[in-house]
Amino acid sequence: MKLFTKYQRINLLATITIFLIASVSFYFVLHFILIDQIDDDLTIEEKEIVTYQKKYNRLPENLSVTDQIIKYYPAATRIPTIFTTEPIFDSLSKKEHNYRILYFGINSGDKNYKVSVAKSLEDTNELIQSIIAITFSTIILILAASFIINRYLLKKLWQPFYKTLSHIKDFKVSKEENISFEPSDIEEFAFMNHTLELITNKARHEYVALKTFSENAAHELQTPVAVIQSKLDLLIQDEQMTEQQSERLQSAYNAVQKLTRLNQSLLLLAKIENNQFENVSLINFKSKVEEKVSEFYEFWTAKHITVQQALEDISIKMNNDLCDILLNNLFSNATRHNIENGYIKIVLDSNEFSISNSGYAFELNSASLFSRFNHAATQYQQSNGLGLSIIKQICDVSHFEIKYSYNEALHLFSIKWLQA
Amino acid sequence: MKILVIEDEIDLLESICSYLAMEQFTTEKAMDFESALEKISLYEYACIVLDITLPGGSGMGLLKELKANNKMDGVLIISAKNSLDDKVNGLNAGADDYLAKPFHLPELGARIAAIIRRKSFDGKNVIIIENLVIDLSEKLVKVGAVPVELTRKEYELLLYFISNKNRVIAKNAIAIHLWGDDMDVSGNYDFIYTHIKNLRKKLINAGSEDLIKSIYGIGYKFQVA
Repeated sequence: MKLFTKYQRINLLATITIFLIASVSFYFVLHFILIDQIDDDLTIEEKEIVTYQKKYNRLPENLSVTDQIIKYYPAATRIPTIFTTEPIFDSLSKKEHNYRILYFGINSGDKNYKVSVAKSLEDTNELIQSIIAITFSTIILILAASFIINRYLLKKLWQPFYKTLSHIKDFKVSKEENISFEPSDIEEFAFMNHTLELITNKARHEYVALKTFSENAAHELQTPVAVIQSKLDLLIQDEQMTEQQSERLQSAYNAVQKLTRLNQSLLLLAKIENNQFENVSLINFKSKVEEKVSEFYEFWTAKHITVQQALEDISIKMNNDLCDILLNNLFSNATRHNIENGYIKIVLDSNEFSISNSGYAFELNSASLFSRFNHAATQYQQSNGLGLSIIKQICDVSHFEIKYSYNEALHLFSIKWLQA
Repeated sequence: MKILVIEDEIDLLESICSYLAMEQFTTEKAMDFESALEKISLYEYACIVLDITLPGGSGMGLLKELKANNKMDGVLIISAKNSLDDKVNGLNAGADDYLAKPFHLPELGARIAAIIRRKSFDGKNVIIIENLVIDLSEKLVKVGAVPVELTRKEYELLLYFISNKNRVIAKNAIAIHLWGDDMDVSGNYDFIYTHIKNLRKKLINAGSEDLIKSIYGIGYKFQVA
């Protein structure tokens, strides 16, 4: 539910309730005041009759007018003064009309009379009705006006909010420039924009700091690794080594090599993120694939892997170095995780490039497959856990979509060309 | 032949110099921009191994100085940055080759040997070792007069061994030399073994002595007198 739909609902409900209560009370108050007014008139009439009687010692003539009827009835005793509202049949309009009647007792010529002074309420009712009608139309007008105002004005008022939202949606911590919002003269929006600017800039700075840190760390590691490697290269020159010593040296060599690869992968990821592979050219993907196939051929024959290819002559826009790295990683994966007498299938067409291979007989978790140092993926291999992250990163910057699936005992990686 | 090694990390500097000394190179060391500049302007070297990040200035500055003075020394840049820009800038500024840290010393040896060969190239680019004759421009190998048919990898391997003769080369170093840094396929060592076995067989069949020795499972050595 939209904020102003909710607001509108509450607003509408409150307004209607208040207006209803107000109208009802207004009706009663008005009614009371008007009745009171008539009662005053009737009392004046009573006084006039009483004065007349005192002056002339008889009751005045019956001077009924249309909306005022005075009647005398003989009474046994002196009756008390009361006000009532009663319907009286009007012979002219042949309808019953409500009248306000004052009954009071009077003594004239030693006789008790009951006097009724009645005044028509017809005009009063009409007045109340028209007042109520005006009130109701005012309510409806006000409601309609507020509905329209809320609908259009609020929409316009919230415009900066939606603009800010769309800016935030496009925000990426890896973006070069600071995010900037349209200035707003509404205090709340200005405050929100200011806060968001602070937060996003801070996030960006922290991201840059972290990125620079990991990049520098990887750089700084290169030299000590180079020292270790060079010392190992010198150590093996010693001809007097025992078999055990050389085995230990070999382990050290392998560890250093792993460290080197890890470091290089981290640097590569940083470089891709820093857009250092911006040079994009039209690459004949087919010939690149064929080149890689010939490079890997000896590994496949040694493992007795059957290779099936279906390559169309396709050219793709991407960075040349990244293309090499991408294919290298994909082919290495398909080879390393393969089995003896295994199978590799490579397909290239205008939609996608895919490579599927036999391997472990279970599906990999595609949700975490491409994340860095994904433990599940590194568990079964000597890889450093960055190979697939690099593939993903390259696909992202090259506007490709990479997908993994496991079907009929084959692990399939497919890259969809999203670019035109 | 004299080689100048300019590197600010003393341990790496020592390693490089010790390794090169085994190949009868005379090495000189420089650890900062100033002393390197002094040595460059005073002497001539067969090859200069140049680190890019130096205290007191950039190795790139030294390279420009060299080229400005029309020095013919070969230059091999070694850099921890391994960025494409460094490589391109270095080669454009007149460096002969570029090697990213960390590297194996035999790789450095092979690169230096290649630079020196190119620099002293006098019409005939031929290496003769024992009774092996290698024509670098034709990529032909003969034992005496008998031609040996080698695959590309076997040829590369032979050249690598010759550039690092009489030194033990680790299997890891050979793997990186043959397949590059990023082709990470398990069981590379089996392939090295296969290639070396074939190379050995072909050379022996052509009448050469068995020059490639396997050293305690860790590597190989190309042994000549």
